[in-house]
Amino acid sequence: MKYTVLNIIMLVGLSLLLGGAAYSGYRLADVSAEREQVKEDYSLSNSVTFGLFSIDQWRDRITEVLSSQIQDYHITKAQQRDMLIMVEKEMHGLVSKTVAEINKPQKGLGAKLKKLAFNTLVDSAELQAQVKPFAKTIVAKISSPESEKRLKNIAGSKVNQLTSQIYDSVSVANYAVTKYVYKKYKVSDPIAFNNRIDQKLAELKIQLVQYVCIMLGCVLVALLLWFALRKQVHLQTPLFIFALLFAFVMLVTGSLLPVVEVDARIQSLHLALLDGNVEFKNQVLFYQSKSILGIVETLIGQPKPDAILVGVLILLFILVLPLLRLIAKGIYVFSPKKLGRNGVVRYLTFELGKWDMSDVMIVGMLMTYIGLNGILKSQLSSLNIHTESLNVITANGTSLQPGYFIFAGYVLFAALLSYILKRVSPHDAL
Amino acid sequence: MTKRNYLPKLLLILGLFVLLGLEGFFGYRLHELSARQETIKLDHSTINNISYGLLSVDQWRDEVSGIVNRQVKHFKLTPKQKKELQTEVESVLYALINKAEAMVEKKPQSFIGKIRKLAIKTFVKTDKVKAQVPGLARSIIAKADNPNQKNKLSNLAMGKFTQLQHTESIDSTLKANHALFDGMYRKYQVHNKEELNKKLDDLLQEIRVEMYHNCFLMLGCIVLVLGLWWILRKRTELHGTLFILSLLFAFILLAVGLSASMIEVDCRIKTLDFMLLGEHVSFKDQVLFYESKSILGVVEVLVKQPAIDSIAVGILILCFSILFPVMKLSSTGIHLLSKRKLAENRVIKYFAFQSGKWSMADVIVIAVLMTYIGLNGLLDKQLAMLNIRGQDLTLITTNNTALQPGYIIFISFVLYGLILSTILKYITPHDAH
Repeated sequence: MKYTVLNIIMLVGLSLLLGGAAYSGYRLADVSAEREQVKEDYSLSNSVTFGLFSIDQWRDRITEVLSSQIQDYHITKAQQRDMLIMVEKEMHGLVSKTVAEINKPQKGLGAKLKKLAFNTLVDSAELQAQVKPFAKTIVAKISSPESEKRLKNIAGSKVNQLTSQIYDSVSVANYAVTKYVYKKYKVSDPIAFNNRIDQKLAELKIQLVQYVCIMLGCVLVALLLWFALRKQVHLQTPLFIFALLFAFVMLVTGSLLPVVEVDARIQSLHLALLDGNVEFKNQVLFYQSKSILGIVETLIGQPKPDAILVGVLILLFILVLPLLRLIAKGIYVFSPKKLGRNGVVRYLTFELGKWDMSDVMIVGMLMTYIGLNGILKSQLSSLNIHTESLNVITANGTSLQPGYFIFAGYVLFAALLSYILKRVSPHDAL
Repeated sequence: MTKRNYLPKLLLILGLFVLLGLEGFFGYRLHELSARQETIKLDHSTINNISYGLLSVDQWRDEVSGIVNRQVKHFKLTPKQKKELQTEVESVLYALINKAEAMVEKKPQSFIGKIRKLAIKTFVKTDKVKAQVPGLARSIIAKADNPNQKNKLSNLAMGKFTQLQHTESIDSTLKANHALFDGMYRKYQVHNKEELNKKLDDLLQEIRVEMYHNCFLMLGCIVLVLGLWWILRKRTELHGTLFILSLLFAFILLAVGLSASMIEVDCRIKTLDFMLLGEHVSFKDQVLFYESKSILGVVEVLVKQPAIDSIAVGILILCFSILFPVMKLSSTGIHLLSKRKLAENRVIKYFAFQSGKWSMADVIVIAVLMTYIGLNGLLDKQLAMLNIRGQDLTLITTNNTALQPGYIIFISFVLYGLILSTILKYITPHDAH
């Protein structure tokens, strides 16, 4: 009787643990989906297409620099001096030309009289001497504040006139995207939007870590329990069934959560232009996040038959076959005498390990992650430019995601189960 | 032994060698085609490269001359700007007149000065002169604004521009570009870029079809071999021969699978389309990157990375694609043919029966890489959701990234290897566990 009470307590405890693992798996799927959505929205609205690659954006930034240049413009003393010299030269030229014109041999009487009067009254040298004050007047007038303001207005309106002839078709799309994300996140300006996204991502990250810990913790506790009870032979069957259920939860969760996230962005680009500064921030070049199931879906969703074939193979060897093997193991353990004798069940349980490629998938994903990360890193670092006028900083946010660790947990767990099963029933293997 | 016992074996060997020859031939063709495709792709990506389009002086020349022409020749002041300018000129003129008046008003010292003052006072009415100022200012502005003047300015600007263009470095790059394009035109016997692109696309299409033909013929050979196994499943005495010959087929598959291109990466800026000072500037299909890679090519890319972990991954892929398969195939042969002691060696048995699936790691790496870099539909998808047409936006697309025949051959090799080791388990005289 002692054992049955212990049995019930143990079974209830294991059920609770299983429930905890399943619940955290469910929550993980939710939280990951939300995180993916948030990041997708962020990379959509911060995409290079709407920033660095948009002529509109460049125009706005350059116009700003030009306008402030025009507003801050003042005629300096040196410029005034130069202008004075230029105007004087022009005027000297003008005076000599006029004098020469009048002193030309004249024909009519009136013209001759005029020439005489001019020569009597006007001394050309004296006239030249008076150029200086006049030139000074002109320059003073032009550099007077109201004159400056007028000229600035003319230049400013000309700049506006020119920039209105520069545009591309991004603005409509940009407007739609901005409206969509602002409405979705209930913000009204880019800074608030970025803050909101950062805050949200931080929250979600904490939740993700928590749930992964809970899930792996449940599995670990169950394993310890099993280890503690390894001597209780009559409890082995329910324990093994529970272990299979844990493996099942991990397999499902691991295949639903994103495994690798690729995120390449230009963190900032500063371009010094006419003492001004053209700046682009947080330009997302590329973002992808996919779960194993997502990878399969993408491949099967392709129009090309070879991609579909690969998708089907991955689905078969990495998701379906492991699942079948778990079920077969369950059937075998549950009734080794009757159903366990069935050839198909035994084949699935013991022989198909060679075709079960979830372990290969884990190694393959890790290789992909490292390879992709390395290539991206070197590509992005070649974009990092630090010169006096141009400053580019890139960021590579490629990372392994919870799905990878949970799937890896499943693979280890499944290997352990196979090992235990082989030891428990050595003679049943084919 | 009678003659009858040898005959089927001999026939089998003969028949399979013919098939092997065919397989080898198809594999060779596939390899050749793949190499040819790679060079054509290189040419294609060279001539459509962004540095000869968007980033080339040549392409911008027409646009810039159009802009200079329009903006200088058709430079127009708006009425408001004209009015402001008018005020400006008028104020300068008024200031001049006032200055002159003041100078005349000054008490002259000399006799002649006095006469002059008198004369000016008598003949010149300052108010009248001042009344003429607005007309004078208008004609000054009109003079600056007249078409002749603008033409002169536009010519001056164009002259500067041409001068800038003919600096030595630009000239030499242009010359080099022209030489390159002429070479390409001669190579493919066409006359301009459109024709060349069309021709290259046609060629690539042709090669692709032919590659798939060869690929399927190869797979046909493999299916025949497996069919033979089914037919001869009861003839135990032939199994040894058949198995060794099947291994040869596997080697050919492996060799072709490694060397033929596996993945095609095509990264381009689809369109860049905008209005620049009245000129419609449009660039299409600017190729950033367009290449086919065999699995060895992928290894090469990884090994050339500076980071040590990428190099490690490259070496690992190399192991899974060459070392493991070769060891596996040899081990199966050794297991079948050699004495019991060697056949039941742990290493031999591991490679013969368990190692096959690790070659699948390469298949997975390529497939996952494909889904991440190739099928980048994220932005398109989201834009479509918001009812935005993506066509006019400057997007980097990799939509044409695709798998290539080499990939199918490699997968076939992996699966075929796994099937062979399963067969071996049934026919082996030794313990397989």
